[in-house]
Amino acid sequence: MTVTELAALLDDAAVNATAIPQLTLANELDVDGAYAVQEALIARRLDRGQRLVGIKMGLTSRAKMAQVGVHEVIWGRLTDAMAVPDGGQLSLDGFIHPRIEPEIAFLLGENGIAAAAPALEIIDSRYADFQFTHPDVVADNTSGAAFVVGPWQPVPAGVDNLGVLLEVDGKVVQAGSTAAILGDPRRALTEGRALTARYGLALEPGWIFLAGAATAAVPLTPGAHVRAVVEGLGTASLKAAA
Amino acid sequence: MTKEPASDSSGRTAWTADHPGLPTGAVDEAVRLLREAQETRTPCAPLRERLLPVGDVATAYAVQRAMTEQAVAAGRRIVGAKIGLTNPAVQRQLGVDQPDFGVLFADMAAFDGAEVDVTRILQPKVEAEVAFVLGRDLPYEQVTVADVMRATDHLLPAIEIVGSRIANWDISIVDTVADNASSAMFVLGDRPVALADVDLRLCGMVLEHEGEPVSVGAGAACLGHPLHAVAWLAQTMAAAGTPLRAGDVILSGALGPMVPVTPGAAYEARISGLGSVRTRFSGLAG
Repeated sequence: MTVTELAALLDDAAVNATAIPQLTLANELDVDGAYAVQEALIARRLDRGQRLVGIKMGLTSRAKMAQVGVHEVIWGRLTDAMAVPDGGQLSLDGFIHPRIEPEIAFLLGENGIAAAAPALEIIDSRYADFQFTHPDVVADNTSGAAFVVGPWQPVPAGVDNLGVLLEVDGKVVQAGSTAAILGDPRRALTEGRALTARYGLALEPGWIFLAGAATAAVPLTPGAHVRAVVEGLGTASLKAAA
Repeated sequence: MTKEPASDSSGRTAWTADHPGLPTGAVDEAVRLLREAQETRTPCAPLRERLLPVGDVATAYAVQRAMTEQAVAAGRRIVGAKIGLTNPAVQRQLGVDQPDFGVLFADMAAFDGAEVDVTRILQPKVEAEVAFVLGRDLPYEQVTVADVMRATDHLLPAIEIVGSRIANWDISIVDTVADNASSAMFVLGDRPVALADVDLRLCGMVLEHEGEPVSVGAGAACLGHPLHAVAWLAQTMAAAGTPLRAGDVILSGALGPMVPVTPGAAYEARISGLGSVRTRFSGLAG
């Protein structure tokens, strides 16, 4: 199949919330080809009126690499349609098997990082059983589905070891540190700039940068109230509709 | 198994409570096997079933107590206690809903940054923790976090070097309790920090090996809050008749997963607001 056809498959899977088999099962697809599919996939959404608002990093922690069995940092695109207001409600109807994880977000400025915020990312592989190879997950916009960014804060002097909690219905279900993000989330930004440049995308001031998960992801279930707490940065939360 | 109370150089007695009905022969045999494992540096088979009834934590503590008495009688000085099994996932693995504890002796302490003889420890692993140093006794069987706060003189970042005398770390709750909560050594940081100056629930923790994070976590990973773990220990020790005392060092429990030690490797633990502490291990040749 062509890049355009593969992008259409993934786009339809997301729109219809229906899992599909991994692309690599029936197609020759390498990582470069997969980024081309991702670009075509997002182009379809931009054609529908969505706007590019940033990028997200994936597989920036050992825990995450072990969880999915891919051992290289990857990146995906964020559009405005993926944003959920902090404290907002999210219907899970549009998702296949959503998971949620706590992150740190950076607001990109003219020169470096303008602000930082606690964030939540909802990931939802369009592949059956959340199973994929490296090219598959890249083509699928690195499983990106939705995100919440909490209130922007001044960038702390150090962001390399901020404690991060993921709470579901008031219970701490994951505890980690921003150190899980490549040792320091600022490294994720350096990597992100380099990786996106390789595929012809320059990060723009005003964009949101999701640096990667600080803990393993947990399933997002109907009715759950989920909160990310980041040391020194505050909280970001959402309520999954029942 | 009534024994003469043994006391260390500071006059503190080890546990000597009599537990009628315990299988004394089995306890003595478990003590012998654990000592032999340490002395010959050869881990032994699990003690459960063959010596210690599965889930009989009281008998397992009787083994620990007997070993502590022998250690004190041999002149080793008790300096505090460690709390283990403070992570719900680890508790589930071992089928328990409570932490456990072990005794810390002065000769288990290594200096910050000093080399540790890796051959001295059976199957070593490292984990990062918050150490509490008490300024007052905690003699109450009913304890609040306020009591613990008032009794805490200062905090230190710590690396606990755990080890197991049980082959392949194939431990159940009775195996680890009998084996002094799988303790081996500990390293304390050198800069005391006041309890009020750290957010012990949210503080990030990273344990690094050659600059690479090998374990990460946060304060809440320890029973929701390290203070809760210390409160549990205080009431457990008071109920056992051996309350925590001023000067005791409490290792409150791991803030992230434990990591197997690589001989020759150096590890640094950083805890947000608490500073850092490091240890390094001799190579295989010692």
